[in-house]
Amino acid sequence: MRLSPRWKKLVGDLRIAQGRLMMMVIALAVGIFGVATILSAYTILTREISRNYLGTNPAAAQIQVDRVDDGLVQAVRHQPGIVDAEASSSVTGRIEVNPNEWLPLLLFVVEDFNAIHINKFQPESGAWPPPAGTILLERTSLQLVNGKVGGSRRIQTSSGQKLNVGISGLVHDPGLAPSWQEQTAYGYTTRATLALIGGPSRLSLLKVTLGDDVRDLRAIEQRVAILAQWLKSQGRTVEQIRIPPPRMHPHQTQMTAILVMLLLFSAMALILSATLTATIIGGLLAQQVRQIGVMKAIGARSWQVAGVYSVMVIAMGTAAVVLGVPPGIAAGRGFARTVADLLNFTLYSQAVPTWIYFVQVLAGILVPLLIAQIPIRKAARITVREAISDCGVQRAAVTESRLDRLLAGIRGLDRTLLLALRNTFRRRVRLALTLGLLAAAGAMFLTSLNVKSAWERNLAQASADRRYDLEIQLTAPVVEERLLRIVNAVPGVQNSESWNILPASLDREDGLSIVRTYPDEGHGSFSLRSFPPQSDLVHLTLLDGRWLQPGDINGVLINHNAQAMLRGVKAGATIELRVQGRPLHFQVVGIVREIMSPATAYTSPAAFQRVTDFAGQSNAVRIAAKAHDEKNILGLTRDIGQALEREGISTKVEISESRLSGALSGHVYILIVALIMMSVLMAVVGALGLTSAMGTSVIERTREFGIMRTIGARTPTVMRNIISEGIFIGLMSWCVAIVLSVPLSAGVGRLIGTLAFRSTLPLTLSLFAIVLWLTLIVLGSMAASAVPAWKASKLTIRETLAHL
Amino acid sequence: MMVAAQTEQQGQGISSARAPLISTSHLFKRYQTPAGFFEALKDIDLAVYHGECVAVVGKSGSGKSTLVNILTGIDSPTSGEVHVASTAVHKLNQEQLAIWRGRNVGVVFQFFQLLPTLTVAENVMLPMDFCKTYPPAERLPRAIALLAKMGIAEQAGKLPADLSGGQQQRAAIARALANDPPILFADEPTGNLDSKTSDEVMEFLADLAKDGKTVVMVTHERDLSRHFTRTISLADGMVAGRAGQPS
Repeated sequence: MRLSPRWKKLVGDLRIAQGRLMMMVIALAVGIFGVATILSAYTILTREISRNYLGTNPAAAQIQVDRVDDGLVQAVRHQPGIVDAEASSSVTGRIEVNPNEWLPLLLFVVEDFNAIHINKFQPESGAWPPPAGTILLERTSLQLVNGKVGGSRRIQTSSGQKLNVGISGLVHDPGLAPSWQEQTAYGYTTRATLALIGGPSRLSLLKVTLGDDVRDLRAIEQRVAILAQWLKSQGRTVEQIRIPPPRMHPHQTQMTAILVMLLLFSAMALILSATLTATIIGGLLAQQVRQIGVMKAIGARSWQVAGVYSVMVIAMGTAAVVLGVPPGIAAGRGFARTVADLLNFTLYSQAVPTWIYFVQVLAGILVPLLIAQIPIRKAARITVREAISDCGVQRAAVTESRLDRLLAGIRGLDRTLLLALRNTFRRRVRLALTLGLLAAAGAMFLTSLNVKSAWERNLAQASADRRYDLEIQLTAPVVEERLLRIVNAVPGVQNSESWNILPASLDREDGLSIVRTYPDEGHGSFSLRSFPPQSDLVHLTLLDGRWLQPGDINGVLINHNAQAMLRGVKAGATIELRVQGRPLHFQVVGIVREIMSPATAYTSPAAFQRVTDFAGQSNAVRIAAKAHDEKNILGLTRDIGQALEREGISTKVEISESRLSGALSGHVYILIVALIMMSVLMAVVGALGLTSAMGTSVIERTREFGIMRTIGARTPTVMRNIISEGIFIGLMSWCVAIVLSVPLSAGVGRLIGTLAFRSTLPLTLSLFAIVLWLTLIVLGSMAASAVPAWKASKLTIRETLAHL
Repeated sequence: MMVAAQTEQQGQGISSARAPLISTSHLFKRYQTPAGFFEALKDIDLAVYHGECVAVVGKSGSGKSTLVNILTGIDSPTSGEVHVASTAVHKLNQEQLAIWRGRNVGVVFQFFQLLPTLTVAENVMLPMDFCKTYPPAERLPRAIALLAKMGIAEQAGKLPADLSGGQQQRAAIARALANDPPILFADEPTGNLDSKTSDEVMEFLADLAKDGKTVVMVTHERDLSRHFTRTISLADGMVAGRAGQPS
């Protein structure tokens, strides 16, 4: 088939401007790559996390009762609205990962490993069920406990007894956050083995599932509350009811929100690259103004002219889609695998839905086409007279402006630099586009690194707020003076304070204790704690109200997570909690910001002892060490543990500051990596934008360079003129980028902070990022303008003057 | 063929024997410049008849190019009227002008303005492509025939840059004739050519008038006057003189 002349012209134009068009394709491909990566990861991850979690048949509720037996389970299954029920138990303890170095252990007790139908987990390797005297470990726990299948580890439960148990196999439990993130080992064992290590012999957890019609939290609460009342009527003691957010993995909301944020970033990258396309097309059209004029003079209509250039954009978009989508999908799968590993779920399928491909194709072609319509329509609408009399620059731009007079007033400024400065402002629309593109890329680059800094600063602040090195929780309360005397006698202890802790829940009229805790007993939990109001071991930022006073008998200080759980309660309000089965009323005296801590209400020791049965006793101690390095803390933990053991005091859990910091930073390093990836994409698009803008500017002024050389300008002068212009543009964009990055960083920081910490990240401007972007932009500007400058300098005067 | 027939009808519609083919009435053109208003044309009244070969002459800045630009619809008058056959050109918008120009007017520029990425034949085919005046299969043979008429058929497959100035201008005339328009406007068509080539190009244009086309040409080369049936002189935007009689 023979192409008609207008399409042959298009092919010819593509050939002539292939350098710039290739840049356009690369920029678009980069944008499409970003969107394809995140969009495909998003679809894979949101599908697979649900598939994994729902595949466990998660309990709608776990009811802690005094005892659960087969008869009760059978009876519960026949209660209205209950689909299934199962007996289980979980006990907290410790596992020895190195000699005298212990980690928290959550041990799930399973009645029959071959008949698990609620909160299911899958065997990965080794024995199934675990033989007597052994446990199975969740697959992410193995490395944390420094163990191996077939090996053994000492474990200790609340009885205080320590027993060497074998690790007989591994399981995958997709309902739990990975061990290394929570710094807690998860074990699975039989009732017989639990009895061996002194654990309770009977099961106490009743797991229930409800019908598919009962999906929202309120409906689940209502149905389970009815069941709890029935249990009470059967003479059972209902201690606590755990109803986690229905059908949602503990990290699902955070994962989805972060992916949405990354998706927004990548969409921005695509829009930026599409804007770059518009800039390049605009430059190309600026060169072809006379040709457009001629075409219109011989009968072409505006839509015909616009059609030719629109097809050019479609062709470029198609090429970019071909280049960007396959690696984007591959990268998305890789990203999904990394996130799946991070969150401990299995990707059963890495298939990307067909609609993703359609969206990519449409976005890759339509977005640049729509944005490019601005220069295309402008060029196509130009009148023949305007086109034929076009001299390359706007009249307003060559007449002397206030800016020119200002520039001319700068004494001692080299004429070439002055010319470069003036050239920068000659094509103001294009300058605005280029500046916008570079500044947006820079702002997003800076934002990603600012958010990274803010995240680190937040963690550092949280770490600084925790002015202790070690917290030890005991299996049972002991006399406070005795506890502190034992601890303070250990060499290396600087200071210690007794800090009590008890699980709490919001009080209800029906007297039930309902919490949002997941089976890992960490996510969604709520505690009541006491600490000395003049404590030296904590410093929390007060958000509202006042700090706790020693005489606050009814007052509590709550952290911002508790505030969120208490539906935004303010200082001065009264809250009703249930602790140790007792309803308690407190007045909120203040609200503090406490990063990565579960929801907690703090009372004075006096108030705590008044409302609990801890008269003069304490079940937790916080310790500041003389030396804060990890090795020393490890040794101190061991020494205190041994000192307590000698006194017959059993330790429930030891939490060192370094371990806590490790757990916190482990939660989101992938987010930081993803943000840096985005910033690199932005930097690439920005650099391509500047290269293209400089290339277009040089091509337009080729004739002018010829004239300059005719009247004596040397090649280095021409090159300096062009490179200086590039650097001016780069520097201007750098300034704008810094300004833009402030609200952007604040917004993204608010989003991420709220998701991760329920608290806004502090606005942080990373000096490192600002200097890095300045370096990149100056070097990039020099490189981007050096190539067209070098090409321009190589042209002979005859060639430059012949240029149309 | 239907499209070609339509064009022919339009051509016949334009070529009325008695009324002027092109007429202007009280034509003014004023430009805003940094120094204030500049009047390029002042109250121009003129008439051009079918088959004439009219030269518009004058010094640089006299308004001759502005006048031709307004006659072709490339520029619009500040006030006054332009009628080409039954069409009130001054009332057409840009899209209507493009359609009208494509079918009724051929334009030849001083700098040829051939599209550099198209071959000579493709340049000639381009107006047919845009205006769809000839079916696709007929466009190339017609382009070759027009180029042959201009004596450069053997250059059809070359790019404009490979042609001499005279050859490029002949190709530009062939392009102007592509849609068989009844009127040809040329703005300094010989301004970039040597005297021998200029003479040849003028000969072509004069022959076109003899063949029934109406030719209006801007030139400042008075020694080419023998090719024109009439000369209109402009000075300072006004008609300063007329030589010859309307045919």
